[in-house]
Amino acid sequence: MELFLERLITGLTNGSIYALLALALVVVFRGTGTLNFAQGELALFTTFFAWWLTTESIPVWIAIIASLIAGFVLGALIERLLIRPVQRRNDMAVLIVALGLFTGLNSLAGLIWGSETKIMPSPFPNGIDDFVSVGGARLYFDALGVVGALVALMIVLTLLFRYTRVGLHMRAVADNAESATLAGVRTSRILAIGWGLSGAIGALAGVLVTPLSPQQLGLTSMFHVFIAASAAALFGGLDSLTGAVVGGITIGVLEAMLTGYVSFIGGSLQQTSALFIIVAILFLRPNGLFGTKRLVRV
Amino acid sequence: MSLLSIRDLHAGYGSADVLHGISMDVDAGQVVVVLGANGAGKTTTMRAIAGLIGRRGTVELDGKPLGKRPEQVVGAGISLVPQGRGTLGQLTVMDNLRVGAALRDDKDGVASDIERWTEVFPVLGRRSHQIAGSLSGGEQQMLAVARALMSRPRLLLCDEPSLGLAPIVVQELFDTLSQINKADGTALLIVEQNAELAMDLADTVYLLDVGTIAATGTPAEFRSDDAVRSAYLGY
Repeated sequence: MELFLERLITGLTNGSIYALLALALVVVFRGTGTLNFAQGELALFTTFFAWWLTTESIPVWIAIIASLIAGFVLGALIERLLIRPVQRRNDMAVLIVALGLFTGLNSLAGLIWGSETKIMPSPFPNGIDDFVSVGGARLYFDALGVVGALVALMIVLTLLFRYTRVGLHMRAVADNAESATLAGVRTSRILAIGWGLSGAIGALAGVLVTPLSPQQLGLTSMFHVFIAASAAALFGGLDSLTGAVVGGITIGVLEAMLTGYVSFIGGSLQQTSALFIIVAILFLRPNGLFGTKRLVRV
Repeated sequence: MSLLSIRDLHAGYGSADVLHGISMDVDAGQVVVVLGANGAGKTTTMRAIAGLIGRRGTVELDGKPLGKRPEQVVGAGISLVPQGRGTLGQLTVMDNLRVGAALRDDKDGVASDIERWTEVFPVLGRRSHQIAGSLSGGEQQMLAVARALMSRPRLLLCDEPSLGLAPIVVQELFDTLSQINKADGTALLIVEQNAELAMDLADTVYLLDVGTIAATGTPAEFRSDDAVRSAYLGY
């Protein structure tokens, strides 16, 4: 029972991270209609930036806020300078640019900060004794913090989309860009804000996952998170915020249970479980569980 | 002086021009109807004015050059109801109307306009919290008109408003458009294939043929011109 609870907690924690990055993917998809392959590496880059700030003896919370701002600016700049010029041609070009950014941002992070593993400090208390016992299982504060961050972000995004003008315009552009344009919505600004927002969400995912991850902060830290997050976004239908969260949690928990209880999967086949889920979803329900019937343009 | 003045307008898609230098005027409070067969360039004219596609030539509103970006056009007081209605299908009826007020900052004015248009189109009031995609074709057309009116335009462009609607719904829609024109003095520029019905509303009619203006006049002149009548009105 304790073991089960601990695996459940691990699954929920990892799942929250996947959900965060999946939310970033969904925000871009709703605006631009493509999967941003560079989302994970963008998060990696901003996390390196946050780590670098902490080595300059800047408090970790300030470093995190700075990395969120950097994520927003970087995301908006990428949309404006790289995505928009090629999008007029076609959607495939956007995918290729995103793939280029994937390798580009990774190499750039390596070039600036080196390829050796860094220790990103956690914003939450994460000593060996910083836990509460729940039914015999240890619930660490830093894991709790990640779940809390996801809940907080969901609330913020829901408020943004439902009650603000920018949110209304983002939904309008996602729904029918031409109609939104005809109503006077500044579509290009809205798209840049969407990419910026997803850059900031990704940055949050990055600074939260690296202190928890056994790999810490290295150039490959985000690969698995990105793959799991893509599976989560796909699970939810790529355009649903709720779907992305449900998808992320589901994949996190499934993964923890599969690696824990199915002995031949173990640690080494962990990544395969996300891949398996992607294939299964594409096969059984191409629009995901929460997706609208609009076609996926990837 | 005319409200909207178009001189030698060229526009098209890619390198191919669809409009080969058309000129047109809409006076304040007037109803102008543009007739023409499929492919004559009616929709292209509307999209060029609205700023959805590039254009060459002169387009002036109140004697001032009209901006080429869609938000500039809306901001200047011209609003387009696109062909096919452009419903924001996943948004509620209420949100559709609020998007129509994208450029306005007067919250109270927006609220009172929403109230007004949901009275003019009672079905929108009854369904204000429903997803717009679930409305019928006629209801979506009314929503499209109401959304366009939310920007308080002085000139409303309607691209084939009758397309795909039952005759009785079309009649109702045209009646409402006519009432809005009379009550608010909102000028209308309507593109239609349903020539007879549109001409009942019109002060001036233009006939578009393969990207040029083939004829212009009052509805009475059009109906009495045998050549035009047999070629374009079909009786």
